[in-house]
Amino acid sequence: MAGLQDIRRRIRSVKNTQQVTKAMKMISAVKLRKSQERLVSLRPYADKMRAVTVSVVGRIMGHHLADELVLGPSAQAFLNPREEKRIRVVLIASDKGLCGGFNANVLKTATAFLEDRNKADVVLDVVGKRAADWARKHGFSSHAEYLGIPLTGVERVSREVCDDAAAQYTRGEIDAFYVIYNHFYSAVAQEPVVTKVFPLDLDAPVIDGKVGVAHLLEPDPNTTLEALLPRFVETEMLRSLLESSASEHGARMAAMDKASNNAGDMIARLTLTMNKIRQASITNQIIEIVSGANA
Amino acid sequence: MSMSEPILLEVVTPHKRVFSAQVSEVSFPSAANGYYGILPGHTPVMTPLGQGLIYYVQGGEKHWLTAFGGFAEVSSDHVTILARDSETVDEIDLDRAEAARQRALKVLKEAQTESDLSSAQAALDRSITRIQAAGHPGGHGF
Repeated sequence: MAGLQDIRRRIRSVKNTQQVTKAMKMISAVKLRKSQERLVSLRPYADKMRAVTVSVVGRIMGHHLADELVLGPSAQAFLNPREEKRIRVVLIASDKGLCGGFNANVLKTATAFLEDRNKADVVLDVVGKRAADWARKHGFSSHAEYLGIPLTGVERVSREVCDDAAAQYTRGEIDAFYVIYNHFYSAVAQEPVVTKVFPLDLDAPVIDGKVGVAHLLEPDPNTTLEALLPRFVETEMLRSLLESSASEHGARMAAMDKASNNAGDMIARLTLTMNKIRQASITNQIIEIVSGANA
Repeated sequence: MSMSEPILLEVVTPHKRVFSAQVSEVSFPSAANGYYGILPGHTPVMTPLGQGLIYYVQGGEKHWLTAFGGFAEVSSDHVTILARDSETVDEIDLDRAEAARQRALKVLKEAQTESDLSSAQAALDRSITRIQAAGHPGGHGF
C-alpha cells in the first residue's frame, strides 16, 4: 500500500500548486486590466502624434527644405540623419518570470537584432531584471538599468531616457535610437518588435502624385520642431513601456491559466491511478477472503 | 447633419480621445500667436497649442472645449489637436473649478517662494479656463 500514500501526497502537493497558479492568474488579470486601460487611452494620442510627426517632417524632407531651415538639436536628429555607427537601444523585458514566452521572445529578438553589431557601438538601456541578466550574460555593459518600475513611474522613466538619448545624439555619441519590446495585441497575443524612434524612416505623404504642401511652422520652424520632436520621442517610449507592461501581464495570465489547467489534468490522472490501486487492493483482499473461506 | 461638414476635427490627449467628428469651423488658442480660426481649405500649419478655449461649429452651432497646451496640426480638410489635456464642457465640474480658483487666489496672496507663485498662477489660469468654458452653454453661438 506504499503507492497509495505517495499518490495521496502528490495530489495534495499538486492541489497546492494549483491554488498558487490560480491566485497568480487572478492577480495578473487585475494588473492586465490596469495596464491595458492606460495603454488603450494612450494609443489614439500616440498614433496621432506619429501621424502628425511623419506628415510634418516628411513634407519638409520631401521638399528638401531642411537645408533652408536653421535647425535645433532635436530637429537635426530627424532631418539630417547620419550614417548609423553607434546606436542606443532600450530593451524592455520584465522583472519577474512565470510569464510564458514573454521574456524569451523579446530577448531572442534582441539577440538577433544586436548580433552583427560591435558591442562597443551599442548603448544599451535595460528595463526589467530579465533584460539586465540577459545583458550581463551577453557581455553588454548596460548604460542604465530600470528595475521594478511601477505603472505610475513609466512617465518619469520615458522622460529620463529620452532626454538623455537626445543629449547623446546632440553630442554625436549615438546616431539612432531603438526600442525593443513586446507589442500588445490581446491578452493572449503579444509579439516582440524593434522600433526605430529616431531618425524616422520617412515616406513623405504623396497627394495627387506630389508631396503635400509643407506645413507653415508657426511661430517659427525651430521653436515648433524643438517642442514637437522631443514630445514625439517621449510618447513613443511611453507607449513601448505600456505595451510591454500589458503584454507581460497578459502573458502571465495565459501562462498561469495553462498551468492551472495542467494541474487539474494531473490531479485527475493521479486520482484515477489512486482509485485503481485502491480498487485493486480491495479486490485482492476479497479474493483472499473468498479463497480462505473455500479452503 | 446630413449636410457634409468639411473639416475632420480630432482632439486627443494622452489620457483619452476627447473629440472626433466632421465640423465646419474650428478655433483654437496657439501658444505664441493668439487664436487661430480655421475654415475649410486652410493652408497646412503646425503650431504649439496654448491654453484657452477651442470651439468648433457643428450643425450651425458652436461647441466649446478646453485646451491646456500641446500641438495643433491643420490641413485643408482636417485639424488634429494633440493636447496635453482637454475636456468637453459636460466634463467640467464647475464647483470644483470654482474651489480651485479660490484656493489659487488664496495661495497667491500668501505665497512666499517663486515656485509657489508660479504654480498657483498656473492653477488659477486653469480654473479660469474651465469656468469660462462652462460659462458657454453651447448650442447658440456668440
